[in-house]
Amino acid sequence: MTRKLALLALIGTFTAFADDALPKAETILDHYVEVTGGKAAYAKRKTEISTGTVEFAAQGLKGSITRYAADPDKSYAIMELEGVGKIESGSVNGVSWEKSAMMGPRIKSGEEKTQSMREGVFNSALNWRKMFPTAETNGVETVEGEECYKVTLTPAQGKPETAYYSKKSGLEVKRATVAASPMGEVAVEAIVSGYKEFGGVLQPTKLVQKLAGQELVITIQSVKVNEELPPDRFDPPAEVKALMNKPPAQ
Amino acid sequence: MRLLSGICLFAISLHAQVAGLNATTGSKLTPQQRQLNLDSFEKVWTAVRDHHWEKNPGGLDWQAIHTEFRPRIEQADSMDAARTVMRDMLERLHQTHFGIIPSTVYDDVDVAAGEGSPGVDLRVIDTQAIVTHVDSGSPAEKAGVTPGWAIVSVDGKELAPVIQKLQADPAMHELTLERSVLARLSGPVGGKLPVVFSNGANRKVALDLSLTEPRGQAAKFGNLPTQHVWFESKKIENTEYVAFNMFLDLPRIMGNFGDAVNSCLQCSGLIIDLRGNPGGIGGMAMGMAGFLVDKPDQKLGTMYMRDATIKFAVLPRPQVFNGPVAVLMDGSSASTSEIFAGGLKDLGRARIFGTRSAAAALPSIIEKLPNGDGFQYAMANYISDGGKPLEGNGVVPDVEVKLTRQALLDGHDPVVDAALQWIKKQREQK
Repeated sequence: MTRKLALLALIGTFTAFADDALPKAETILDHYVEVTGGKAAYAKRKTEISTGTVEFAAQGLKGSITRYAADPDKSYAIMELEGVGKIESGSVNGVSWEKSAMMGPRIKSGEEKTQSMREGVFNSALNWRKMFPTAETNGVETVEGEECYKVTLTPAQGKPETAYYSKKSGLEVKRATVAASPMGEVAVEAIVSGYKEFGGVLQPTKLVQKLAGQELVITIQSVKVNEELPPDRFDPPAEVKALMNKPPAQ
Repeated sequence: MRLLSGICLFAISLHAQVAGLNATTGSKLTPQQRQLNLDSFEKVWTAVRDHHWEKNPGGLDWQAIHTEFRPRIEQADSMDAARTVMRDMLERLHQTHFGIIPSTVYDDVDVAAGEGSPGVDLRVIDTQAIVTHVDSGSPAEKAGVTPGWAIVSVDGKELAPVIQKLQADPAMHELTLERSVLARLSGPVGGKLPVVFSNGANRKVALDLSLTEPRGQAAKFGNLPTQHVWFESKKIENTEYVAFNMFLDLPRIMGNFGDAVNSCLQCSGLIIDLRGNPGGIGGMAMGMAGFLVDKPDQKLGTMYMRDATIKFAVLPRPQVFNGPVAVLMDGSSASTSEIFAGGLKDLGRARIFGTRSAAAALPSIIEKLPNGDGFQYAMANYISDGGKPLEGNGVVPDVEVKLTRQALLDGHDPVVDAALQWIKKQREQK
């Protein structure tokens, strides 16, 4: 109850200045950390295992997804779709990789690698200053029926991301960027909702992502925080290691 | 969970690129179905408006098309009539991969695992349906049917008039024609089908063929109807020969393809037989090309959508086959088959043998409509690496070789023979 009251107080403070000039981006981003649990709660988190479902509704494709993450920037995700098989991806020790039944193993490079490494940062909300040296509030837009502050986050390298934070709750509602891949650059946007508390921090449990004419829905069913992970959990698969050791083609 | 870009490559390679899924059935209408047909019409029209790669789809005033066809769908008093209205509307685009798939197609194929076959494949050569392959252990093989036999009649109905009628339709694809003829050779598993053949001596042979499970394993991919997918690989002399009937059942087919290539890295050559292959998951073309192209930063072609341009990138595998590659094509090779073969040809990585492909290569997806039917629509144009659209042009073979009835009767496949000869020459020159 005390925590709820504290949250209400924070939101009250936030909306008080919201009617005037646009708040600074850092205020909005720090406020997000506060409304989702506070710095101390984030700092206690060292590992995370998220499990859920994934669906490409228009195509009738369904599957499961599990993502392991650890402080400061290790990640490993496995998605399995019926008729498609496994798609594994991860970032560790400065290497970002992917392996799928369709494309085989590959090591990401360039802008794609930069984006993946950034997405692998643990407690990314808390660490936004390390990820985005520049953040700027660029107005107010209505997203999913909610008035939101539009914040442009510019990393040291690579494409900027645009995040939308509810004026009312301070929660992130949408994020958009241009994703890089060997297939080219594609505009991506994700609507996030269904915030639930896991290990003292509120996290969205529904992500609706649109890119290249496809809509993907990820629903998180559970998040285990600070579970002990095997030391080799983030090791790339043998095929990826083989590619890392392969001499470049002439 | 931040997955903003991580899923990108996979998601954009999911578009199904498969041609030849069509059928017609009749149905009675209830008031609810009438409304569902109206809703389906709106969904079809809206999908084209929103997802076609051109802002004015097919150069048409799409709003005017709505004004013209809406009264017709309101008047449609049967499922067939409703489908006809939607099909007529889509035909205005003059593009492949826009179609309505009756719900009964899903139902029929889902039962079946069910769809019985005597175990033959065929091609229409001139005006005759000719057996091109007999499945090992199938009822047809047990009955003594061999490649080269002509199919005269099925279930008492002569095929020649049917073929002539279908061939007279200028819009008829070779792929559709052959699928239509092949469909007559199917029925419930466990049933029997009277078929009259003309054998090698041109004598009529009447057989009562049992119908068994089709060749391959049943595979499901999203909203696509269940398909039986098979993969075959064998060594011919020191050349690896692989064939598969669809780019589906991704984990199994990609695994089999990789195993076949990796088992033959020192072979004289590789023959990939895509004759009769109507396509499937577009991304598989990229994945397979990765076993054959060692050079980085290569692509098979480019897909143009309204809001994005996607390269069909080739990502070299840890082990790559560097020897000569021959790809076999015919008029029933479509979509992903064309993307794969056309891209490898443009990259100078494969030599194409056979006949011109189906010229039906638009990337499409299939959604279920409110009335239960399927709606296939293309949402992108595709240009092969050489700069030519495959749609309407197809993949033109480097070496044109036609199947003949006589060659099949003699136990030869002239297309495979031509590919083997070329591979042999390459080895000798080396």
